[in-house]
Amino acid sequence: MRHVKTGLHTFMAFPAFLLFALFFLWPLAQGIGMSLTDWDGIRAPSFVGLQNFFSFFKDSRALGDIKTTLLFTLGSAPLLNLVGLGYALLMDGEFHGKGLARVIIYLPAIISPLIMGYIWYFLLQPDRGFVSQAMMQWGFSRGLGDWMNEYWLEMLVLILVNVWQYAGMTMVIYLAGLQGIPQELYESAKMDGAGYSSRFRYVTLPLLIPSIRINVVTNIIGSLSVFDIIMSLTDGGPGYATESLGIYIMRMCYGSKTGYSTAVAMIMFFIILVPVVISMRLTQERE
Amino acid sequence: MISKIGRQAAILFICALCLTPFYILLTLSLNKPTRILSEGNIFIPDFHFHNYIDGWVKSQIGTAILNSALITLFALAVIVVLGTMAAYTIARFDYKFNKAFFWIFLCSMMIPGIINTVPLYTLMIRINAINTLWGMALVCATNVLPSSVFIFTGFVRSLPREIEESAIIDGCSWFAAFWRITFPLLKPSIAAVAILNGFGIWNNYAQAVFFLQDRSKHNIPQALSVYFQQFAGAKWHLMAATAVIAVIPVICAFLLFQKSLLKGLTEGAVKG
Repeated sequence: MRHVKTGLHTFMAFPAFLLFALFFLWPLAQGIGMSLTDWDGIRAPSFVGLQNFFSFFKDSRALGDIKTTLLFTLGSAPLLNLVGLGYALLMDGEFHGKGLARVIIYLPAIISPLIMGYIWYFLLQPDRGFVSQAMMQWGFSRGLGDWMNEYWLEMLVLILVNVWQYAGMTMVIYLAGLQGIPQELYESAKMDGAGYSSRFRYVTLPLLIPSIRINVVTNIIGSLSVFDIIMSLTDGGPGYATESLGIYIMRMCYGSKTGYSTAVAMIMFFIILVPVVISMRLTQERE
Repeated sequence: MISKIGRQAAILFICALCLTPFYILLTLSLNKPTRILSEGNIFIPDFHFHNYIDGWVKSQIGTAILNSALITLFALAVIVVLGTMAAYTIARFDYKFNKAFFWIFLCSMMIPGIINTVPLYTLMIRINAINTLWGMALVCATNVLPSSVFIFTGFVRSLPREIEESAIIDGCSWFAAFWRITFPLLKPSIAAVAILNGFGIWNNYAQAVFFLQDRSKHNIPQALSVYFQQFAGAKWHLMAATAVIAVIPVICAFLLFQKSLLKGLTEGAVKG
């Protein structure tokens, strides 16, 4: 690159970086410090070392929250990608009402997950919910049954609602990726006698890697920091059974355990970092 | 032929699946307060439009829509101006600090904003940004700044350097060349970034709970959640009507901008 004289253009990244440093890097550094104290949000904090981290791993509610958060991610991130890719393959190419269908499938993703949670709660709540009432009208007297007391059923509903809501977003990224694949590649593969499945395996999939990476990483991050949908659908209950780490942090902070809640946030950071780095590595190697 | 019909049927089924909850919400919002769900056909509402007036009056959804709109617009303006400027210099000039900034942004993309919320809260108190729309907007902008810079940079790199150089020869500075030549060309990626992030900012709840505690500053999800908790399952018709009011502006904005989304994404955004 040729030498260009210093001028305004030299410093054009500074405003963005300054904003980022003030609202992200600085609090992050402070958070690390805070997580080593017993601060309650009001009185002067005192240093307690790693005490917060020890008490986290002794707290059965916190460990339950880790389990719930991981289970939710394990279900929702892979399913979102499979469903999103399926949708994209189905929607790629020409058919009647293509534009409309894409808009409809993306529609749930633009609505607040909190509102979506409320709607689904109304639909699915035991006894008084819409689905239960409809089933009773059709002669199934038990309706949906009391699924909100079954941990596994609750998790399943949370995962499915999340997948239902965000499959359109994943689909759009995959669609954009699919449209970037040159048609000639498919044609030459066809001429070599490749069937649909081997064309998918050797042409589509390798060229979709950038889209796969974006989707996998954003879905893992999104699922691990799940908050709204659990708040509105189960409120973390029964008890704290379906509480996620994000909700736990918020409740601990409001419960004047500020130092402790930042420690939980640090733990959450590492929980998120591991799968994200692994999936980045995996997709980088394949590229 | 059969596979073609099968495909259409599958698409139709998926669309129905996506629309059903919206239909139910609409039905519900038009039911009379006295309606008992188990009586009559459950899928046909009473067409009681008065719920919308009641919902509007009893909730604070009007203020909340305005707050969400101001936060989203301000945040998107910050992201677009700061993000494209940073992307331009990062893509075009090899300064050491540009590389460092880009690397820091790239790594931070893996950290969700919610982790930072508590220490951010103390910072917000210190700079008097609690319960202010501009404070919330800056928080939201910061959340998505790294991924936006990443997308913009990929897009600027896909444009030939010559477009700016011809302006430089005519006596333009690199800074002015960006605003006059490069920035207008970034439109598709700006649209993609705005759509991908705009709705998330509009619907932000996890951080609004901390930074917008004053009821007059509540955004849409907060206004609805307070309202839902107040009535705790008793007045579904009013809640549904209010939710519909809250959802309408979002759907309109989406219909207006949806064409740019796929275009912006295909033209460079996902090539990263």
